[in-house]
Amino acid sequence: MRIRNLAAKAVLSPTVLVMLVCFYGCAIWTAYLSVTRSALLPNYQFAGLVQYVRLFGTARWNVAWSNMFLFGVLDIVGTLGLGVLLAVLIDRQVRFEGAFRTIFLYPLSISFIVTGLTWQWVLSPTIGFQYFVRGLGWNDFVFDWIIRPDRAIYTLVFAGVWHQAGLIMAIMLAGLRGVDREIWQATRVEAIPPWRVYLSIVLPMLRPLLVTCIVLIAIAVVKSYDLVVAMTGGGPGYASDLPGKFVVDFEFERANIGQASAAAAVMLGSVLTVLAPYLYLELSRRGR
Amino acid sequence: MARHRMLFLAAAATLLAHQASAQDAQVMHWWTSGGESRAVSVFAKEYEKRGGKWIDGASVGPQAEHAAVLNAIAGGNPPAAFQWNIGVAVRQLAEQGLLSNLDDMASAGGLEAASAAAARQEHHRRWPRDCRPGHLHGANWMFYSTKVFSDLNMAPPKTWDEFLAEADKIKAAGYLPIAMGGNAQQTGWLFYAMLAGVGGKEAYRKVFVAHDAQAAGSDEVRRAFETMGKIRQHADAGGTNRKWNDTLALVETNKAAFMIAGDWAKGDFSAAGMTVGKEYGCLPAPGTQDAYVMTVDVFAFPKVTKPDQIAAQRKLAELMMDPAVQVEFNKFKGSLPARLDADVGSLDACAQLGQKVMAGGESNQLPNFALAFGPDTQGQIEDLLIHYWSTPGMSAVDATKQFSTIIANAGS
Repeated sequence: MRIRNLAAKAVLSPTVLVMLVCFYGCAIWTAYLSVTRSALLPNYQFAGLVQYVRLFGTARWNVAWSNMFLFGVLDIVGTLGLGVLLAVLIDRQVRFEGAFRTIFLYPLSISFIVTGLTWQWVLSPTIGFQYFVRGLGWNDFVFDWIIRPDRAIYTLVFAGVWHQAGLIMAIMLAGLRGVDREIWQATRVEAIPPWRVYLSIVLPMLRPLLVTCIVLIAIAVVKSYDLVVAMTGGGPGYASDLPGKFVVDFEFERANIGQASAAAAVMLGSVLTVLAPYLYLELSRRGR
Repeated sequence: MARHRMLFLAAAATLLAHQASAQDAQVMHWWTSGGESRAVSVFAKEYEKRGGKWIDGASVGPQAEHAAVLNAIAGGNPPAAFQWNIGVAVRQLAEQGLLSNLDDMASAGGLEAASAAAARQEHHRRWPRDCRPGHLHGANWMFYSTKVFSDLNMAPPKTWDEFLAEADKIKAAGYLPIAMGGNAQQTGWLFYAMLAGVGGKEAYRKVFVAHDAQAAGSDEVRRAFETMGKIRQHADAGGTNRKWNDTLALVETNKAAFMIAGDWAKGDFSAAGMTVGKEYGCLPAPGTQDAYVMTVDVFAFPKVTKPDQIAAQRKLAELMMDPAVQVEFNKFKGSLPARLDADVGSLDACAQLGQKVMAGGESNQLPNFALAFGPDTQGQIEDLLIHYWSTPGMSAVDATKQFSTIIANAGS
């Protein structure tokens, strides 16, 4: 019996193996550790849901977990909105298109650590933007969101949007350039205003690209760790904590594998619950 | 990282190449800043003077060093000695039989009697007998700007009540009354000073040594939290997530009156070209004049089998605990010798002050978080403190209640 595409399968099999062991294997292992009493060292005796009971009784976790949703929704909406807007504006044949494209894409070439640090300086009330505006004469000017426990999470959204909007712009711009010229000619004959064409015709045509963008941003949201470490350190207090930081703190600093695993499992679970139905819907639509 | 791996490999290769020659000792540590590396070289020079060969295995930061040490031990090529933070992990290494037993040397050199009782016992978890403490840092120091206090014609505060009464006057003169950064490290240091200085040493010991949950919920602790809350309004708005050396810079540039920090801050001052007694001064934090909150790193000695290696280890352990070498080492490290019988006459004024407090007996020697609790409990306390510090709406009563719950769950 001949195996079809032997070469392709041989080339792919190491990747598949690595995926199975490193990704699925570790995910399952972590999920199992979350139902044990593991602390500094793994302990494989089943212990029920003790870790989860403690996790959801921990004030810091509840803040971090709800922050993930708040940050996620705002970051996805903000990045997508700004990215698409920029792409559309550039698509309208502006002058110096290349310069604008480079400027908007630049933040992406900067690491999250540097992004976070820069925004921390800019937003710090004693040395940053507030200080600058006060120096211009507006002595009562206040912009201190980064030090307010109820606002700090939004400053992370600023930085996240700033960092990623350029990438979304580049992807969407490529898509917009691929739209058939005849569609534009047809709409011009019908005298439909351009904004209406984008909203009702062009963007729906680019739906698969939008899904890609949403997935890219969502991944950035879930794995965001460096941004929060560099920018707010999870603070003030732990008001801007995110699950990624929570897991790393518990795993590596506090020698509590059980809590870290439970938190990681909840992270994965909540992402799957939110994203899976959406992706299923989108992908099945594309299949039709 | 890769560079250190290379260094480490190079060191390991040298170790193999020289296996025949007697008493090579690879020592792994993460003391790499200016003062720290000078301190380590004291050990190195002394070891070579005594006829051995020192192989320096420096890593950048504890995590890298921990990984390198564990790899080396697992790979069957353990270093002669390695630095570690005191705590659960090093005790577990000892329990698993991975460390050499140097027990006989402890009593022979008079070490047992001479080292700080509290550090030696490590309270309910026992000081691992296979380790040697490198230094005794104190965490409850007040580093103040001499210029600010002489401008104000004021003496540094002796109690926290005195500080709260004077804070507005300091502010009116255009200075920040206290330099404080909102991260877990700094709220921890401030809390030591609060609990020992407002709640009192007895309450402190009940919580940290006996893990007494009732004491953790007592009025003394509540008063400590209340005072901490009042101090918050005298700190500046830019403190959120500020690193401790950036906070210290406020004192160095005479913008703030003082900062509560450990004596490792002295390294920063001397790097800025400042000397104690001139540009800056040190005193125990208000209310803690007779308390020394200890911070300790140890050297541990992995189990080795060859006679040469054993001899090298014993030679290392001996010289690390030699009072004269200890003094020389800690002169650069900025801390106190781990032996209380060492002559500290050549150390700076802060260290001499600290030594006097330490000599006052066990009741003056207070453990820090790492000595008193496991990392999990320490993390919970740090979360509570940083949350309390950055949430003005949270009451001291609530904080005390939560603190008591954490201590109740800490176990013995």
